[in-house]
Amino acid sequence: MRLEILVTMTIFFGGSLLTGYGVRRLLRFRQEEGMLFSVVSGVMAWWALMEAVLVPMTMKHAAFQTFSRVYSGLVLLSAAFGLCCYREILRDVRKFFGEARQYLTLGHLAALALMLWQLYFLHHHMYLEWDDTYYVNLANEAVRSNQIYWVYPETGSFGDFDKRYVLSLWPVFYAWLSGFTGVVPTIMAHTILPWVMIPLAYMVYELIGRQLFEEDRQLQGMFLALAVMMHLFMSGEHTAGLTFLSITPWVGKGVLATVLIPMLFYGVLRAVKSETCQEWILLGITCLAGCLLSSMGIMLTPVFVGVAVFLTAVQKKSVKCLLGGIGACAPCLVLGVYYIYLTH
Amino acid sequence: MQEFFEIAKTDFLATFEGAWIFWLLLCGVVWILVKEKDQTRKLLTGVLPAVFLFLYWCPVSGILFMKVLGENVYWRILWLILLAVTIPYAMCLALGELQGVKRQGAFLLCLGILAVGGKKVLSEEWFEPSTNVYKLPQNVIEVCELLPSNVHVMVSNRLMPYIRQCDPTITSEFGRNSLAYNGKEDSEEEGEKLYLEAQKEEIDLAVLGVLARKEGCTFLVFSNNRTYLGDWADYGYREYGRTDEFVIYVDEDYKEGQDTRKWIE
Repeated sequence: MRLEILVTMTIFFGGSLLTGYGVRRLLRFRQEEGMLFSVVSGVMAWWALMEAVLVPMTMKHAAFQTFSRVYSGLVLLSAAFGLCCYREILRDVRKFFGEARQYLTLGHLAALALMLWQLYFLHHHMYLEWDDTYYVNLANEAVRSNQIYWVYPETGSFGDFDKRYVLSLWPVFYAWLSGFTGVVPTIMAHTILPWVMIPLAYMVYELIGRQLFEEDRQLQGMFLALAVMMHLFMSGEHTAGLTFLSITPWVGKGVLATVLIPMLFYGVLRAVKSETCQEWILLGITCLAGCLLSSMGIMLTPVFVGVAVFLTAVQKKSVKCLLGGIGACAPCLVLGVYYIYLTH
Repeated sequence: MQEFFEIAKTDFLATFEGAWIFWLLLCGVVWILVKEKDQTRKLLTGVLPAVFLFLYWCPVSGILFMKVLGENVYWRILWLILLAVTIPYAMCLALGELQGVKRQGAFLLCLGILAVGGKKVLSEEWFEPSTNVYKLPQNVIEVCELLPSNVHVMVSNRLMPYIRQCDPTITSEFGRNSLAYNGKEDSEEEGEKLYLEAQKEEIDLAVLGVLARKEGCTFLVFSNNRTYLGDWADYGYREYGRTDEFVIYVDEDYKEGQDTRKWIE
């Protein structure tokens, strides 16, 4: 299984890194963003792209294999476009190795140790999620029956799909991902995805730290370590969002709570600071990515971005900021209206 | 209104009980509001969580959210409060005022406060050691290893949520929605009747055997502590195999390798 984990991590992070450079070039971001920014923006672009492709294909009863080919083609295309930015990639790689020693702070080392402990523990333990019988089997059925969402996942019977979930078919993402290594989606979800989602979540926190403490690497590391610690020592029952990263990092809602909402925060932080068009577009891409993860994402994403941008717009007395926020939420609003149309 | 506050309170306590996280959040918000000079950061890290907290408790916005999200999942509004940003940020603002060893010592103290003040997530309370690569209960894997592919089964409720995660080529007579039949005394509907009979400690094969064959259940899997009224052979079934916890019965007409799935595309 180690090989499958390694292959999946390489495809996921390597591919999204390249796509991220493509996104950077396309949106004309400044040069100094670094590799981490490319990875997370690449992941958001992958998920947004998937949502844009998957919803119409599901509605049109497309086969899972057809979807896989179309989506793989688009991802490959975006990665190839990113590969054209090889100069930026090489520069960032050199910069990364040049600055590597700066990241050898107590905070970063503590964060790394805690993260490795989390991954080690999760690799050797299991959490039995009751809803997996629906969601994981949705991915299993896509691979087995070659149909997207037209088989009732819990029994294998046929039926009209549950319209509440049809706009947010996150399990299809790991069904697609499982195709690269040939493992069944159950193993992809339970055993491999934690190795992808947990580092991704902490990459977002590292980026937030860099935004909040631009000049102080030590504080960036301490911020990251404290954020990791909060994921490992939380409160209450498992209704707390942060807990999901450990118990069910493969569930769309968990990814929404632990990766996407912090990513929205990061996006808002950047967008309201610079108020440039490309930042709002990237935030819009992130919002669309949120719609893939969970139908809850269609609703919570615009609430989060809406409130955050509204407050900032009032504070800055900036109409441009408000319009940018509305524009970024547009994909969720469109899908939200469609959701209401489907479910009523 | 009363109902709203009850739901909000229950969900709030379920999220924050057993730890100091909420108090740390409040202290963090206050600290950020006092110490942060940059207005935008102050707004996004300090004011924003307070606003979401207000929106959560405010009946007007709360009832609206409940209508949109559903009462059962109102607690998800609390996800919008970024605990892992606000609390660490407030702590780092304080750490930023220190230098050298004092800062590093205070950082370790902060880690300690979070560890002591929080509830350990990676604990045996929620997790159990995994014994297989599927990360499913081992008793499910043992049954799946005995069952052939492409067959229609009716399994014990203990196996029902997991059996198709292990082998999705199997079709299952019942899913989780059948749990709604629990508690019913009797039913006219045959599917319900079959389910209710299968839940009994002592199963009447005159009822179950006939209905199971009628519904096309090639394989039946029951806990091995069940007793039966009647003889399986009289109803067209025989024992196929057993594990430590379950006994598997098969339709006598089943031929090895036969596709007996109930729903075939």
